Amino acid sequence: MNKRLAHSLTGLYPRAWRARYGEEFQALLESHPNNVRALCDVVGRAIYERLFYVGGFNMNPDQRSLALMAYAWLAAVAAGANFYWTVADTPMATVMRSHSTLFALWTLIQVGALLAFAAVVIVGLPTFVTVARTALSARRWGVVGRLAAPLIAAVVTLLWMAAAAMWTGGHWVPTPWDVTGDWTAPPEWPPQMTRWTLSMVTFVLLVVGLIGSAVSVNQVIHRADVSVRRGLLTAPSLILAGSTSLMAAAVVAWGLFAERYASDAFHARNGGFFSSTNSASWAASCTVFVVSAVIAIRAARSAMSLPPEG
Amino acid sequence: MEEDDDPEIGRYSDPPLLVLASLADGPKHGHAMIEDIARMSGTRLGPGTLYGAIASLERQKLIEPLPAEGRRYPYRLTPKGLRVLRAKLTTLHHFSRAGLRKLEAK
Repeated sequence: MNKRLAHSLTGLYPRAWRARYGEEFQALLESHPNNVRALCDVVGRAIYERLFYVGGFNMNPDQRSLALMAYAWLAAVAAGANFYWTVADTPMATVMRSHSTLFALWTLIQVGALLAFAAVVIVGLPTFVTVARTALSARRWGVVGRLAAPLIAAVVTLLWMAAAAMWTGGHWVPTPWDVTGDWTAPPEWPPQMTRWTLSMVTFVLLVVGLIGSAVSVNQVIHRADVSVRRGLLTAPSLILAGSTSLMAAAVVAWGLFAERYASDAFHARNGGFFSSTNSASWAASCTVFVVSAVIAIRAARSAMSLPPEG
Repeated sequence: MEEDDDPEIGRYSDPPLLVLASLADGPKHGHAMIEDIARMSGTRLGPGTLYGAIASLERQKLIEPLPAEGRRYPYRLTPKGLRVLRAKLTTLHHFSRAGLRKLEAK
């Protein structure tokens, strides 16, 4: 690997990590063959370090808890969006109306989503306002930009989807859940290859937006040296841990009952992510919901480890 | 390819344990660890995975860096790392013997 590429790749890692391992890591990269597998390994690990282990170096428990709450919520949003679009406008939605258990579980997931949102707002809004006011008055544009990053990511994705929808005459919106499957696409929709390409762009924007949002939250916490009182953090972190666990359990149960009540519809390819079966798409949501719950529990544990206020 | 010829079959990958095992016969720097682990287990760790394991093991005080050799830092096991490695390998040894015995009894 040439020196320039090795330097750039090392630069993807968090500053605290680079201060400790940067020089030796770059030396290792320079002696390592340049291949796609190594690049993916280095980039993947850099994302992981930025999301999870920056806190291991110099985050306080309150900062760690706050960062983990943000990751848990973003993961829950991704899992929830996938689950919603897998079921919406498919025969599974019709099946749900005639089976009260499925409907009750769906309602539980909605309750969990509302609770999770409330928990994030309770702790996130006052923190956001304080950090934004301080950063604006001190003209710390780096912090302001990072605070705005999640909003910018959402706006860019929505603008892209709106522009692509307009380009197709308003007949089709590019989402990964409406590409192809065991259904016939309406004639006014664009060709399948176009749908794949445009949906892939949406998918990349969504993934980059979610990861970018998580990284920007992490960097804001670092740069602004955010501090949150135990009193403000404990209850919301527990609510988030409870609500994400509730959603994870309800989504798992929903799939098990769907398999029992409507196996054919559950295994059809009419709502799944990138034309996967509904059940495969459900399994992906389950996995991400469980990851979200585990992260939220870690956030709550971190908040509980804060010393009592006195 | 026949399933039994698949080189992935039997490959073992637990990066922190592989790093500990690689340091069992003496200090090594990153590149030497990658080569040693590849010879020992058939698994070639990527640079990111290797340093993820090194950072984790160092945080747990199972390994420690030695003075730099140029830009490279060799690592060695700490006494605690040695104990943990011995315990883990012993457990794996008992586990694999019991598993193989069951297979042979079939």
